[in-house]
Amino acid sequence: MFDPYIWFYTGVALVILGSLGTVFGPGVKDPIVRTLNTEIPAVGVSLIFLTYNHTIAILTYIAATAIITLILLRAIVRLEEMGAEL
Amino acid sequence: MSASVLVPSVVSPVVVSLYVPAIFTGIIVGLIGLLAISYQKNDLSALILTDIVGIGMLILVAAVGTDLAESLILPGLVVELAEIMAISEILMSREMRKQGEKMGEPGKKVDLIPLPMSLDMEILTTAPAFMAIILIAYGAFLSGFTGGAIAGGGILFYVISKKIRGVPSGMWEGVAGVSGVAWCLWLVGFIIFFAFPDLWLLALFLAAFGIFIKVAFKAGLVGVMGREEFKKE
Repeated sequence: MFDPYIWFYTGVALVILGSLGTVFGPGVKDPIVRTLNTEIPAVGVSLIFLTYNHTIAILTYIAATAIITLILLRAIVRLEEMGAEL
Repeated sequence: MSASVLVPSVVSPVVVSLYVPAIFTGIIVGLIGLLAISYQKNDLSALILTDIVGIGMLILVAAVGTDLAESLILPGLVVELAEIMAISEILMSREMRKQGEKMGEPGKKVDLIPLPMSLDMEILTTAPAFMAIILIAYGAFLSGFTGGAIAGGGILFYVISKKIRGVPSGMWEGVAGVSGVAWCLWLVGFIIFFAFPDLWLLALFLAAFGIFIKVAFKAGLVGVMGREEFKKE
């Protein structure tokens, strides 16, 4: 019924493919695209935490990912408004 | 399995069978991230790729699969957050200095929190105090790490909504000080656990509320970060 292996290996595939996508994926010259690509490995890690029943860890991870995305987007927008070459 | 000598019998067989694939996933993801950083010329892209390396680290820790792993993931996340915050600040202030040298004057000024819309809404002048009080009271009721996170969210919400009218910049010194005192409370609670086990209830409450205040005032980080900007205005 509930097979932890499915969740675990889906998470593993998402993490590896997502990190490859963040590194080589299309359009990653644009820092915003790169930041959004990091969300895919984030989902994979959440699935892995789910397999291990790490409840508090998954809650904190979701909150931390949201804040990290905010910080990165803020840095990108400020650097762009200052006219830095990205 | 030969490794079963080292694994306590309380660890479930599923966790033991997933240990090797999880470790390999963590190492592969960490290597991908680190190689990409080493080939990267752009500082901002390198900063974004540290996120990937952090994910590899989290999988390695999670592979232990017990409560120990969970308690190690939480500080790992906080450290990663603080690190990304600090490096992004360094990148921005370096860019400001570069522009100042180029033009002989400070670079173009931009908002502390750039948003594509005007934040001057009526609800932001009436709601913040109410929402913050409710969140902080609920956080104090929960206590511990979770309560600290909720109360910190309340403080952060208050600060961000008040941003347009300016936050008293002197307040942050006090917040940082209280945060340090709370950290000492937490340490004293831990020492009492070992030195005087009879007083475990006192130690528990010291530790719970110490970590509550400490985590809640992590929002002080954002304030200290913004203080430089507020002084300039």
